[in-house]
Amino acid sequence: MEKAEAIPARGVPRFRALSTRRLATASVWYALLILIALVTVFPFAWILLTSIKGPTDLLFSTPPQLLPHDPTFENYGHVLDALPIPKFFVNSIAASSATTIFNVLVASMAAYPLAKLRFRGREAIFYLLLATLIVPAQLTYIPSYLLARTFNYYDSLPAIILPSLASAFNIFLMRQAFRGVPNELIDAARVDGAREWRIWLQIAMPLVRPTLATVAIFTFVTSWNDFLWPSLMLPTPDNKTLPVGLAALLSFFSSDFRSVAAGVTMTVVPILIFFVVLQRQFVRGLGGALKG
Amino acid sequence: MTARFSATPYLFLAPALALIGIFVIYPILAVVYFSFTEWDIVRPPVWVGIQNYQQLVADPTFWKALTNSIVYLLVTPTIIALSVGLAIIVNRKLRGVSIFRALYFVPAVSGSIAIGIAWRWLFDRNGFINSVLISIGALKTPIQWLSEPSLVLPIAMLLTIWAGIGYYSVIFVAGLQNIPEELYDAAQIDGCNSLQKHWHVSLPGLRPQIVFVSVISSLAALKVFDEIYVLTNRTGGILDSGVTVVFYLWKEAFVLEHAGYAAAIAMVLLVLTLAFSIVNVRFLERGQERV
Repeated sequence: MEKAEAIPARGVPRFRALSTRRLATASVWYALLILIALVTVFPFAWILLTSIKGPTDLLFSTPPQLLPHDPTFENYGHVLDALPIPKFFVNSIAASSATTIFNVLVASMAAYPLAKLRFRGREAIFYLLLATLIVPAQLTYIPSYLLARTFNYYDSLPAIILPSLASAFNIFLMRQAFRGVPNELIDAARVDGAREWRIWLQIAMPLVRPTLATVAIFTFVTSWNDFLWPSLMLPTPDNKTLPVGLAALLSFFSSDFRSVAAGVTMTVVPILIFFVVLQRQFVRGLGGALKG
Repeated sequence: MTARFSATPYLFLAPALALIGIFVIYPILAVVYFSFTEWDIVRPPVWVGIQNYQQLVADPTFWKALTNSIVYLLVTPTIIALSVGLAIIVNRKLRGVSIFRALYFVPAVSGSIAIGIAWRWLFDRNGFINSVLISIGALKTPIQWLSEPSLVLPIAMLLTIWAGIGYYSVIFVAGLQNIPEELYDAAQIDGCNSLQKHWHVSLPGLRPQIVFVSVISSLAALKVFDEIYVLTNRTGGILDSGVTVVFYLWKEAFVLEHAGYAAAIAMVLLVLTLAFSIVNVRFLERGQERV
């Protein structure tokens, strides 16, 4: 009883002390979070600010001039005059969308029998696919280049779409997902006389939708940002994708950095919007990559 | 269930196998063959035996590239340490923490060319870094960061690390959320402070994620190209200071048109990747025995 009375008397100041301490710890954590955010975002902010600097704003000064005194969108006009950025954008959308759609289709078709059907050679095919996972894509570039030239799809979007469809990694992710589909559902459909194709499309596919989304999003972003292979395959300016077109700005570097910055801003903003819209799926997909 | 042969599974697999056959398996076999030829891509290849490999062993640029690629692997332990740390920070239940997680992810989706240009601008002679260092008095005259042979590779590695932390920390956050709360409670009862709790509970609990990230980030480090391409303005840096195996492969094959020689470099890349995969798998198996 004595104790019970003692608690409120001593408890109030103690509670207050605790809450100030809590506030202090929270602000330390927030300070840390903000500091890290500055480090990750600053290079982009600096590019954005540079892109709207006018001709009288200094690019180099000590101390650095952060904000433009004379903000302008002229640099965007310059870079649009120099490079067909809308065209790059359309090419990127077309290439990444086609890569994503066909990748999801090919991978989920291949993954279904590996997860749910019994047939001769299943293990052998599985291990063959596993082995291709460690082969660096760069190794294949010389022969793939030769193929593209021989079969005349060089300098066109199929040249960058076709090789990226051979993704063992996506097959693995899809196989893991299909393994989670209950056998009872599949057997019941078979008893009802459904063909394997219908079971795949109408029963299994809807149940693996979250993994489909993950595969689609990551394939899209990877394809969108892919540089080396597209740079080898797409020499004509009008056929280039955004990263390849952006690399053409490197030659402007010393002469007109404001325009380079405007070009970078225009290419980063669309993919950032894509990321912000699908943020949850990104995080869930990446976090779930190890489960199952 | 039925012993009857069915073509269905093979039909499902056909498109994937055809694509992998054409774009992965055929190229590997072809590269093996090309590595024994002298070839400029345009004219037919000429068989030269092991000449390319002999030339490779005597080529100082190749050794430089190999050394640089192996040094580049240092990004893997650094990324793991920093992104586990970051995961522990953003896994705290703070209001608005998801906004910060999203901000940290920005470099990972922005594309290596865009972020490479942003960094080149920061490290330019007339860039932000010089400007700040001069105004705080740490420097008298601007440094040519990216023309300094000893700095090119470290700056590229820093860029890779910077771009990777937010991405990999998402994997570690998911791992942390799978660790049962009771383990932390038990550690607290045993008298662990919060740092010790993470050492004794979080790190062992994150083992599968650490192995996974070490595999993917070391394979990515062995293949680094874009960062070097942008930061050195396609040159590989003064005195080949930033040349990596893939950069050298690209330069020999597609700039100098020594495709046979480049194929030999590609074989070295394959052996290097295989060796690392075996090391990684060993590491994985050892970990499983211990658990």
